[in-house]
Amino acid sequence: MQSIALAKQALRASAPSKIFARSLATATQKPVLLKEFKIYRWNPDQPEEKPKLQSYTIDLNQTGPMILDALIKIKNEMDPTLTFRRSCREGICGSCAMNIDGQNTLACLCRIDRSPTKNTKVYPLPHMYIVKDLVPDMTQFYKQYKSIQPWLQNDNPPTQGEFLQSIDDRKKLDGLYECILCACCSTSCPSYWWNQDEYLGPATLMQAYRWIADSRDTHTEERKDRLQNDMSMYRCHTIFNCSRTCPKGLNPAAAIAKIKLELAVE
Amino acid sequence: MSAGLILRSNVSRAIARRAALRSSFQARNVSQDHNKYVPGGPVYQGTVNDATTFPPASRVHGSYHWSFERLLSAALVPMTAAAFVTTGSNYPVLDGLLGLSLVMHSHFGFDQVLLDYVHKRKFPVIAPIANWTLRAATVGALVGVYQFNTNDIGLTELIAKVWGA
Repeated sequence: MQSIALAKQALRASAPSKIFARSLATATQKPVLLKEFKIYRWNPDQPEEKPKLQSYTIDLNQTGPMILDALIKIKNEMDPTLTFRRSCREGICGSCAMNIDGQNTLACLCRIDRSPTKNTKVYPLPHMYIVKDLVPDMTQFYKQYKSIQPWLQNDNPPTQGEFLQSIDDRKKLDGLYECILCACCSTSCPSYWWNQDEYLGPATLMQAYRWIADSRDTHTEERKDRLQNDMSMYRCHTIFNCSRTCPKGLNPAAAIAKIKLELAVE
Repeated sequence: MSAGLILRSNVSRAIARRAALRSSFQARNVSQDHNKYVPGGPVYQGTVNDATTFPPASRVHGSYHWSFERLLSAALVPMTAAAFVTTGSNYPVLDGLLGLSLVMHSHFGFDQVLLDYVHKRKFPVIAPIANWTLRAATVGALVGVYQFNTNDIGLTELIAKVWGA
C-alpha cells in the first residue's frame, strides 16, 4: 500500500503532463508504416484479360496484425472488387486458405511481415480452378472428400446408449479429427497438382485414415479396398509438403504412411 | 384452311426444333472455348453433388506393388554392401541378383514417373509408346546384364575396376 502511494506521489511530482499526454495517445499518432501487398486478380467477367498482380499499399499501423486484416482493410477502404473467402477470422473455418508469400496457409493465422521494404504476394491456392481473384473452386476437393464416405458406418450399433470407445482408441483420432478441410495441404502437393482428377490428395486421405482408424467403424475393409489401386493413394510419394504447410499443425503424410502400412500388412 | 394451318405449324415447329438443336451445338462449342469459365474446371465428372469414383480395386496395382517396391529398395542396401566386401567372380549369384534388382528398381522408378506425368488418360498415344519403350529398355538392360555377367567380368568387378582407375 505504502509503496503504491509513494509511486503515485512520485509520478504526480515528476511529470503530470506526460501522463496526460499518454492518456490521450491514439493510434493516429503512430508513425506511418507503408507496406505493399501484391494480390492476384482475375475477373471471370473479363475472361479475355489475363490474371495479374495488383499492388496495394497500406499503413500497417492502421491495420490488424494478420494478412486477413490487411485484405479486409483493402476491400473496405481501397478496392471493394477484391474478392476472397473469409468467415471465422480465427483459423477454424478454413475459408481464407490462400498462398501467401509462397506458402499455403490461412490468411487469418498468418502474421503480416512488417518489413516495409519487402512486399507480400498473395495468390489463391495453387493449381486450382479460380472462380474469382483469391477464390478457388473447391468442387473437386469436396467431391473427393465425399467419395471416402466420411461418416460412421457400423453394422452392429449398440442396442441402447452410445458407441463406447477406450481411451487408447480415442487417442488414435487425435491429430486427425482436427482437420478443417482448408485444402492447404492438398493444393501444396505436386502429385495433387498433376493428378487432381484421380489422386485424392493428403486432406482427403487423412480423413480416409480417420475413419479407418476409428474403432467404432466396422466398414474398415471396404474403406481400405477402395484405396487398392495405383491412383487414389499410391500417387503419394512422401514429399511432405502437406505436413509442412498445414496451418493447423497436423501431419497428413504420417496418416497416409499409416494407411500404406495397414494395406501392406493385411 | 385447317390443313394449311397444321402444315404451317408443323413447319414452324420443325424450324424451331432445328434452331434449338443448333443453339445447343453452339452452347457446346462455347463451353469448349478456352476463355469460357467452367465451374470446377473440365476435370470433374457428374454433378457437383456426385462423389468421385474409384478405379477398380486391385492389390497388384495397390499394396502388393508398393510392398514389393519398398522391399526391393530395402534389399538393395545389404546387397550393395555385400557386393562391396566380396568380389563378383567369387559370388556370381550375388552379382547376378544385384544386376537384376538394380534394373527392376529403376524400372519401377521410371514406371512411377510415367504414371505421374504421362498417364494414359491424358496422353492416349504417347503413354503406351512410353510404357513399351520403358519395357523394351528394361528387357534390353536385363539381357545386357546377363551377357556381361556371363561372358565378361560382371557388374561388381566392373565397378571395382572403374573405382580403382
